[in-house]
Amino acid sequence: AAAMALRGARWAAALGFRRGLAKAAGPRSTRQLREAEEAAPVFQYVGKAAKRKDRVFVWGFCYSGALGVPSFVKPDVGWKKPRRIQPTPYRLETEEKISSAACGYGFTLLSSTTTDITKVWGMGLNKDSQLGFQRSRRDRTKGYEYVLEPSPIPLPLEKPQHTRVLQVSCGRAHSLILTDSEGVFTMGNNSYGQCGRKVVEDETYSESHLIHQLKEFDSRVVQVVCGQDHSLFRTEKGVVYACGWGADGQTGLGHYDITSVPTKLRGDIAGVNIIQVSSYGDCCLAVSDEGDVFGWGNSEYLQLASVTETTQVNVPRHLPFKIGKIKEAACGGTGNVVLTEEGNVFVWGYGILGKGPNLIETAVPEMIPPSLFGWSDFNPDIRVAHVRCGLSQFAALTNRGELFVWGKNLRGCLGTGRMEDQYFPWRVTVPGEVVDVACGVDHMVSMVKSFT
Amino acid sequence: VRGPRFRRLKIGAGHRLDVKASGVFVLGIGHGNKLLTDLYNCHLTKVYTVGGLFGKATDDFSDTGKLVEKTTFDHITREKLERILAVIQGTNHKALLMHSNIDMKTQEAYELAVKGLIHPMGKSPPIITAIRCLQFGLPEFQLEIHCLHETQQYLRKIVHEIGLELKSSAVCTQVRRIRDGVFTLDDALLRTQWNLQNIQNAIWDCQLKVKTELERTLG
Repeated sequence: AAAMALRGARWAAALGFRRGLAKAAGPRSTRQLREAEEAAPVFQYVGKAAKRKDRVFVWGFCYSGALGVPSFVKPDVGWKKPRRIQPTPYRLETEEKISSAACGYGFTLLSSTTTDITKVWGMGLNKDSQLGFQRSRRDRTKGYEYVLEPSPIPLPLEKPQHTRVLQVSCGRAHSLILTDSEGVFTMGNNSYGQCGRKVVEDETYSESHLIHQLKEFDSRVVQVVCGQDHSLFRTEKGVVYACGWGADGQTGLGHYDITSVPTKLRGDIAGVNIIQVSSYGDCCLAVSDEGDVFGWGNSEYLQLASVTETTQVNVPRHLPFKIGKIKEAACGGTGNVVLTEEGNVFVWGYGILGKGPNLIETAVPEMIPPSLFGWSDFNPDIRVAHVRCGLSQFAALTNRGELFVWGKNLRGCLGTGRMEDQYFPWRVTVPGEVVDVACGVDHMVSMVKSFT
Repeated sequence: VRGPRFRRLKIGAGHRLDVKASGVFVLGIGHGNKLLTDLYNCHLTKVYTVGGLFGKATDDFSDTGKLVEKTTFDHITREKLERILAVIQGTNHKALLMHSNIDMKTQEAYELAVKGLIHPMGKSPPIITAIRCLQFGLPEFQLEIHCLHETQQYLRKIVHEIGLELKSSAVCTQVRRIRDGVFTLDDALLRTQWNLQNIQNAIWDCQLKVKTELERTLG
């Protein structure tokens, strides 16, 4: 190689140009390629102890601001049109890790278990102060009617840097926030006593600063659930309290009047340790630790027709279904869904139940075949882990982190990318493993962990 | 009359197989060429074993190409890989339902979806019906892929994309077709077995299988 270089240099010198260059480049030999490969720099994109990131994805109807992305309602560029519907999951940037989310009728609440001062954020409709008082920046005395991005909700906590917010829940025009040591905070419309305080005649709920605190329960409250105009509270000892509108018997207190103070429920659940309560419309379901399910409230859509012919049930009744031990239940507006210990999903009620267009109503639970959730001989250990209900749609989460939705596709709330109703469970493609999902009337919020 | 038994043979090839790939390659001889088009219209799945290597990215996605980038891969675990594979399977299952051209609102679409019989019966982009990890040992791994309408380069691209999803890079070292519709590796003849007797025996053994499959799918 050295001799060649000298000869090349002499040739170059003789020819009078290309002084100082050794030899021309040619096709590289295998040895050169291997050496170049070994000498190439190694890039590191993520370290060995990289943690998976937590993300929030939203989709559905945008105009009310419930998705929390201001550019959907008021585009930042003049030529863009406001987006009415977001049909596929869209990532929402949040400052903290969101542990609990709830979708109401046109508004959303997000909460985190942090000990910072700001623990709850709200966005969407605020005409009844269901997101607290959001001071307007233009006029300091007035509040916002529509909140377009996640705004902090100031809570009157005694120890703001010690208390943690465990769970939030939203109804039609009111919301409940559950803390670990300071009881339950309620805000929003109270015309039926659903906020747990006495109904004041002609009270204006918009731009109200009032956030009521509820502490008088027999033990610590561990779950709060909002129905359309009523509220349910479940305590540590398995007791259920209710307040709010009762014309359909959804308060379960034995009468059809309004209740403005949380009162204990009796009936078939007296003495039973209830581990989960669920409600979204006017029907309520409760699951006991032994796997039994109890229901009360509206039964116009055959939700409770297995025990009674009446269309309103105002005392909790045991629903004698022979489908196995029940782990979780979820109530929608017209249909109900339960999940058993084996991982099977059963639906009943009225509407698009998930077994094709032919099944419109049934009073007895029908099972949805597990093959629709991805179960097959190739993947025999796929199970449904959670079920959730919106007003007219259902959602199921599998143990692999996949989200399946079905039901009426009201303003794109299913997130499938299409506008048609979905008659059997359909996968929603979310770039991550879905940990939890909250369903509303026309939008949904999901909490997702990234893959790596 | 004396002379060789067969002088001219019409041979047709089934689904294409790359130069760099190996495995089952279906050929039709003489009258069997007509069955080839029927088998193509059945749209049956093919099964491949794909071997991959983490840490490198090349321009043609295989290990013999020009190096583009080298990355670290010590953060990759079998669990993360299986998570990515589950998502790939999910999105491809959705594509399967969408390209099958059945109206999702009918009861028969629901029945077929329950039984898992929804299949695209016409042209469609490559779809993976099932994928799972057979072996995992850093930096190498091996996958089993069941797919439709694919090319081997598409499978190499999938390996590259798995590397990207795991925030690293991967190249494909081996693509081997182990099943093409009804033909498996056991029915296949090695290069050393290419003589008349073996070929005749192989055709005879497969005849029944092919006939039942065609009747079942095309009706």
